[in-house]
Amino acid sequence: MRYDIRHVTAYTYGAPVPQARCVMHLLPTARASQTVSRSAVTIRPEPTWRRERTDAFGNDVIDVGFETPHDRLQIIATSSVEIASPDLPNPASTPTWEAVRAATLETMDLGRDSPVHGLFPSRHVPLVGSITSEAAAMFVANRPILEAALALTKKIKASYLYDPKATEISTPIVEAHRLRRGVCQDFAHIMIAGLRGLGLSAMYVSGYLRTIPAKGKERLEGADASHAWVSLWCGPQIGWVGLDPTNGIPAGTDHVVIAIGRDYADVAPVSGVILSSGKHDMSVAVDVLPIE
Amino acid sequence: MSSAALSGTRRSNRRISRLIDGYRPLEGVYDELMDETGNPREHWGPVLDGLAEFSPAEIQRRFETADRHLKDSGVFYRVFDDPDGGERSWPLAHVPMVIPDTEWAELSQGLIQRANLLDMILDDVYGEGRLVQEGFLPAAVVAGNPEYVRALADVKVKDGRRLSFYSADIGRGPDGRWWVLQDRAQAPSGAGYALENRIALNRAFPDLRRTLNVERLAPFFQAYRAGLARLAGRPNARIGVWTPGALNETYFEHAYLARYLGLLLVEGADLVVDGDTVYVRTVEGLKRADVLLRRIDADFADPLELNANSYLGVPGLVQAIRAGNVSIANSLGSGFVEARALIAFLPSLAKHLLGEELKLPQVATWWCGQKSERAYVQSRLDELALAPAFPLTQPGLFAEGHVFGSDLDLADKANVLQTLERRGVDLVGQEVVHLSTTPVWKDGKLSPHPFTMRVFVASDGDGNYTVMPGGFCRVTDKEDARAVAMGQGVRSTDVWVISDSPVEPVSLIPQRDQTPVRRITGALPSRAADNLFWLGRYLERCEATLRIVRALDQRTTEAASGTSAVPVRRLVEMLVAWGAIPGPQLPSPAAFSAVPAQALTRFDVPGSALVLAQEARRTASVIRERFSRDAWRALEDLAARLQGEGEDERARGDAFERAERALRDVAAFSGLASENMNRMAGWLFLDMGRRIERAVATCRFCRAFADTNATPEMLDLLLDLADSQITYRARYILGAARAPVVDLVALDPANPRSVAFQVERILDHLRALPGGPTDGIKSKAEKAALRLAADFAVADPTAFDRSRFMVAEQALMAISDEIGARFFVRRKADMVEEGLA
Repeated sequence: MRYDIRHVTAYTYGAPVPQARCVMHLLPTARASQTVSRSAVTIRPEPTWRRERTDAFGNDVIDVGFETPHDRLQIIATSSVEIASPDLPNPASTPTWEAVRAATLETMDLGRDSPVHGLFPSRHVPLVGSITSEAAAMFVANRPILEAALALTKKIKASYLYDPKATEISTPIVEAHRLRRGVCQDFAHIMIAGLRGLGLSAMYVSGYLRTIPAKGKERLEGADASHAWVSLWCGPQIGWVGLDPTNGIPAGTDHVVIAIGRDYADVAPVSGVILSSGKHDMSVAVDVLPIE
Repeated sequence: MSSAALSGTRRSNRRISRLIDGYRPLEGVYDELMDETGNPREHWGPVLDGLAEFSPAEIQRRFETADRHLKDSGVFYRVFDDPDGGERSWPLAHVPMVIPDTEWAELSQGLIQRANLLDMILDDVYGEGRLVQEGFLPAAVVAGNPEYVRALADVKVKDGRRLSFYSADIGRGPDGRWWVLQDRAQAPSGAGYALENRIALNRAFPDLRRTLNVERLAPFFQAYRAGLARLAGRPNARIGVWTPGALNETYFEHAYLARYLGLLLVEGADLVVDGDTVYVRTVEGLKRADVLLRRIDADFADPLELNANSYLGVPGLVQAIRAGNVSIANSLGSGFVEARALIAFLPSLAKHLLGEELKLPQVATWWCGQKSERAYVQSRLDELALAPAFPLTQPGLFAEGHVFGSDLDLADKANVLQTLERRGVDLVGQEVVHLSTTPVWKDGKLSPHPFTMRVFVASDGDGNYTVMPGGFCRVTDKEDARAVAMGQGVRSTDVWVISDSPVEPVSLIPQRDQTPVRRITGALPSRAADNLFWLGRYLERCEATLRIVRALDQRTTEAASGTSAVPVRRLVEMLVAWGAIPGPQLPSPAAFSAVPAQALTRFDVPGSALVLAQEARRTASVIRERFSRDAWRALEDLAARLQGEGEDERARGDAFERAERALRDVAAFSGLASENMNRMAGWLFLDMGRRIERAVATCRFCRAFADTNATPEMLDLLLDLADSQITYRARYILGAARAPVVDLVALDPANPRSVAFQVERILDHLRALPGGPTDGIKSKAEKAALRLAADFAVADPTAFDRSRFMVAEQALMAISDEIGARFFVRRKADMVEEGLA
């Protein structure tokens, strides 16, 4: 599948902001399963300086700074991305999860694709006994890893309610776990916590999900959204497999990857520090348009 | 040997045996003082000799001298589990730990080797990464370490040294060798406390140290400072000690080191990154920061790229480091080498990187992320200690650090075994080391207690490591000699490295003519200026309140002698208006006599003398490095004096006397500040705060007691409050009359208590401040002060009524606001807003 993507983030500040610095993860990065033919980020007002770099996980990052007062900020990210159909192995014939766990520790690689990065607790993903126990119920002895992981993906979809009002970015996963409610970010974090608690390696994927309008309805402009899911390391032969606990499915051709990190904190689309005395409002609009 | 000398020795031996009589080392434990045969070790001889000269009571007295020194210096550490978040005094174990220099030399070699090794490991992990690629270090040991700062992977440091200050906790094992228990590389604390312990013991036993040839600490700090200057790479660089702030548990040490090393103490809010360069916000504008001695954990250093929730950090710092524009010591990410998981790999890494065996033994450690090591630990659980492999990854059982396998109950053991199976990566097994004991003075005699010793290594001006000849010894009150049981109930003591030959005296005062003359030290940080200004205001407000209390107490206790009701009532009104006693209703006249004591000591109002003194102390405490020990002491005395029995009946009689004494404390501080503080920007801000507050208070006194219909009694009271009685009597033979009193108290520029005098000083200070005379245009504050000074200069005392004083008060407030807006950090604007998305 090919998509044209447009992601607009707009801030309005209550009082002029004299100084600000931002870090952005907004450019989809080329990966095994996706080709990026075009990508650009336009910023208004024009930042005082702008720099691009690659972070430790291979994501493209834009750093910008503003040193003149401004009362609004608009960031427009556009890209054209082609997603290859993922080559999902037969779950039943994948290695046992215990074998994968042992293999994780034998890696001699600290590179971007190394499983060691996804093995440890991180800022938004502490290890929580009760979450690990729930995951452990799927990971019975010698079960093939992908079979168990898919079961967990579906279990989360079935036992949590999607409720954007229930949580915020800063809500701890223990709280979302207790409420059994949340959004894609919470479900991804909870699933990652469960997998890591068992000694498996899982990463957080920030991206987009194409939404297919209901039959007979027009596609609404800006209705698509940023999305988040999980990438699980399934051993040296299979490597990383995307799993979407919000929808209870493996990641497929509707999932466009922007950035991968240990959790949301590594890949927040826009994070920044501003000198400001007032409040601010933010709006986000995302369009993921399929081509042909 | 003559018989006299012989009998002297015998006498000394008798005294020594009295001292160590009943001193029994723990079974099977090495003791520092006593050997296996029950005799004192040779190198302790001179120390015991020295102590034996004194009676137990005299020893006790001298130890108390040392304690008092520490208390007077304000040495403290903050205790987080204290409900008051209190500062605790530093408990000293008194008897120094003694080590012969030959033994110390060997220990030093081992520490230098270890510092070099850890520095090389950091260099590889944040550089080429070959240790992982070549299989010397498992990738998970790097990735799992929360102190591995990925944002700085592949970022070079200017000097090549990532570890400029290293510290190790060591202990002596039963075999008599020193063992490394734990490495400290993030922002090691303790060196400053060691220095204070040294000074305290010197104070108690001035002769002892001299006769004993104890190695001095100052050269080490000289070398350390030179090492920091080297990092800057340019002359006259600005080097800051970066503290998380006054609430940090070791803040005292940050301030102390800044003062001792002559560095600028800065908080995150003092620093700003503009472009890719780090600056200090000062009253002269932004000044470049070259080197930051970091006492803040790496994670909090930059809210933009590291922990977004950090209010202590500097947004953009990581970028400035990438650009090579600032040196951080220790570099961000140096805490990586503190992980216990790494200890397991150090013996092989030493061979690989240095081609050497480790010179110092270390606690045998098995990282449970490896299959066979995990199996070993599982099989020996009862003999080993278990601990987190990395800082802060496992909640619950390991929150305290170590647990001993043998202490686990069945449920915990099952829990640990499951964790080992699932996440062995998070744990290490360690052998249990039994520590040696050292003598502590307790209940009038010496008794053996287990200890660990923190030792310090710094990179010097040539980039070589040098070891501090001494250390920070922590002695536990418990008798459990297992290394890892250290924690609660700990006292500290000094470490004396004893040499056979005399030791050269060195202090941080430069030798000969090697230092170029400089008159201007660094620019004053805005935050410090802000605090100094408010310290001045609080102190002066406290002084004014004390004067009111004194005047009131005099008049309520002398009520029989016929002071009329109106002035007394006005004084009480003033105390209510200033928040020194609760309001808004006045107490009934019958209760007036209790007011002075209340206004001194109430703690539940914003403006009692006590609360103001505490505010002054708090304000000063965050810029402690700027005051001499004596000045700080005067502030402590003031607050302590006013603390006491609140509404106690007995206190009432004392109010006058207490106010008098408190006024003397204020005067002591003022005197010390005015005699000892350099007439630089810092002093100007302190003095401006005082002048503004004094002028405002005097205007208020005049409004209350010098209205056009004021009685002589009221005018007399005003002379008291404005401390101008003597001048008035010298000038006028008649009793108090309005025009001469107003002239003296408000308008006379020669009276140091008059409003006009304060305004003139404010104007002088504003002119002397940076940016004052040079830019040609007068600042708003200066214009307002100039206008006010002119007003007073031409005023006619008979026409100067309440409304004129009111106008003057408002002008003074406006000047204060202008000073704030121009020179101080805009606190509100500094708020960090997290996660725009």
